[in-house]
Amino acid sequence: MRAYSESDEEARRAHDLLKDWAGEGYITAAQHRQMQPETLCKLRRTNIVLRLVSFLFTLLVVAAAVGLVVFLQHTTNPVISVYLLLSALVCYGAVELAISQASLYRFGIEEALAVSSVGLLCAGLMVALQASPSSPARSDLEFLGPLTGTIFSLWIWYRFGLPYVFFAAMLFAVWLTTYLTSSRTEQHIAVAAFFAVAQFVVVATAPRYRHTYLQQRISIAEALLWLGIYLAFNVELSGPKSFWMDWGGIRTTAELPRPFYWSTWALIWCLPPVVLARGLRQRDKVVFASGILVTLLTLLTNKSYLGGERHTWDPMILGALLIGIAVAVRHWLATGPGGVRHGFTAQRLSGRDKSLLDAGVAAAGLVSPHVSPPASPAPTPEVRFQGGDSGGAGASSDF
Amino acid sequence: MTILTRLDQWRERGTLSPAQHALLSGHLRGQPFSLFLELNVLLYLGILAFILGLGWTVTTWSDQLGEIVILSALSALFVACLWYCFSRAPAWSPGETPSPNLVFDYVLYLGSLVWSVELAYLEHRHELLSTQSNLYLLATAGLFFFLSYRFDNRFVLSLALTSLAAWCGLSLSRWPGQQTEDYRQYAIIYSLFIAGAGVILERRGLKPHFCNTYLNLAANVLFWSLLSGVFKEHNNYGWSLALLAACGVSLAWGLSHRQFSFVAYAVLYGYVGLSAKILDQPSVNGTELLFYFMVTGTAVLVLLVYLARRFGREA
Repeated sequence: MRAYSESDEEARRAHDLLKDWAGEGYITAAQHRQMQPETLCKLRRTNIVLRLVSFLFTLLVVAAAVGLVVFLQHTTNPVISVYLLLSALVCYGAVELAISQASLYRFGIEEALAVSSVGLLCAGLMVALQASPSSPARSDLEFLGPLTGTIFSLWIWYRFGLPYVFFAAMLFAVWLTTYLTSSRTEQHIAVAAFFAVAQFVVVATAPRYRHTYLQQRISIAEALLWLGIYLAFNVELSGPKSFWMDWGGIRTTAELPRPFYWSTWALIWCLPPVVLARGLRQRDKVVFASGILVTLLTLLTNKSYLGGERHTWDPMILGALLIGIAVAVRHWLATGPGGVRHGFTAQRLSGRDKSLLDAGVAAAGLVSPHVSPPASPAPTPEVRFQGGDSGGAGASSDF
Repeated sequence: MTILTRLDQWRERGTLSPAQHALLSGHLRGQPFSLFLELNVLLYLGILAFILGLGWTVTTWSDQLGEIVILSALSALFVACLWYCFSRAPAWSPGETPSPNLVFDYVLYLGSLVWSVELAYLEHRHELLSTQSNLYLLATAGLFFFLSYRFDNRFVLSLALTSLAAWCGLSLSRWPGQQTEDYRQYAIIYSLFIAGAGVILERRGLKPHFCNTYLNLAANVLFWSLLSGVFKEHNNYGWSLALLAACGVSLAWGLSHRQFSFVAYAVLYGYVGLSAKILDQPSVNGTELLFYFMVTGTAVLVLLVYLARRFGREA
């Protein structure tokens, strides 16, 4: 059922790990040379940069090709929907072909085709339903768009193992709930229930895949689901008064029922420890990262929940807290025997961490925060401080 | 066959020693579990939040707190950060020097940002250099360059480079739509200067691992400026030619040094610039536009596949 064979996937994983271990000095260059031939596989991969660019250009070509056909026909909705559905089919066929014939693996092209097939299928269905002559039937069946999107995304995720398509499936599920009920409260509960059921399945099946190539895939799904459940409960981030709604111009004055509101407040404090504990217990970096993220979100939104006054020093306190936690944990771990306590260490054990950190430093370099004096003296005595434009060293900032 | 099974086989064959086998299989099982990356992220986010709050507080409460309190607190923090770094830094070396501990780099970064806040506050209150306030940027860039090279810190190097950019009058808020001819010229001179400096310092063996930081910033500034020229100067083909030349250099550098971000810059910026020039005709209609994207997009994909197979292949 999966597009790539288990042996290829395991060989790819072993190949990457050997490279990492050789880079970190856990194995010698001679050992690496000796073992590496056993990990070769037929999968064709490329580096992350070319993968991203290939992904973008494939999306561009697909969008232009579909647009061209639709544009040239000057046709009506039913025909357009047929074109879109056919395009989805062609894209999906192209993915299968690219993998079976060219053995493309995380190459960007086959990924963009897979993503396009999901988008085109949903767009085709929605256009078909819009074109439906009978209004009642149309409104009754519109849920088929997000439902198909959810199912097809899950299939793509399962077959090709693309983690972001799992995220797309979650978004489709959120969209689906808007057709189930018009109540905001029930929508939040329905989303959380969807994700909770999925999480139950993921957590139940996870042990079967430990130490296999599927472990990371399952971990990412679990982390995304924890994040989804959290966001469904955190109504300050996803509720009717959240800033997302404001941006989208759909902010409403509808208040959520108080018991529900305060229940969600309790839940956003309960979830982070659960996710953090699960990540640490399972030794799962992705789930742990998800735990850190939801903890930060709770700290950031707590005052909004309580309706407390925001102070200028709030970010300082948060920053000091984060720095303090990091320093304390590092010190505690570093003073353990061999820098290890209870199976945890602050030392770098993988070259992957260094690569991620280097990428982060490079990205931070392009958007480095910086406060500088204005180019010309400020005309008013009033002190203003509005931060700098990233990357430009804040030359345009006011102080 | 899972990686654990492979490790067992390699040990049985004698390819791996029992100690190596124990170490590697332990790592695979998360024994020990490294929190290195997470602690780094927490420190970075913590410092960003702290500086944001510090700047906000200084701005809002400067009158109530008083100048002496603010300057004393900021100076004390800055001096404490520098003292920490100078007292714990290993001996200087022109090569890559590992940090003595995990927090070291972040303390220096914090100190540098505090310095920026203090300087901005000081200049605003007293206007010591009045119309020459840009000299602060140059002095700050100089200080940050010194600190980054002394302590081998790329965060601070980025601050130095952006301070220098600010001294040249460059800021992101004017990109890409509001650039004037002079502005573009400054940007191009700046990017060529820092790219040249980065390469020369690398050749001289002075912190050669910094070179990429210089080149990435230089490439982005240069390409944005050239693109701005292509978009704004419709009748001047010099900008398009310059963009093509820059793409060629970036592509050649990226391929020869296996730095694929430069290949990506060449492809993306080049495609956007050339497409803008080609499609800048009033007679182009929707069909032609879509046809253009379909054909040229496919051509770029073919090129990318070739580059990926020839140069960027993994496994």
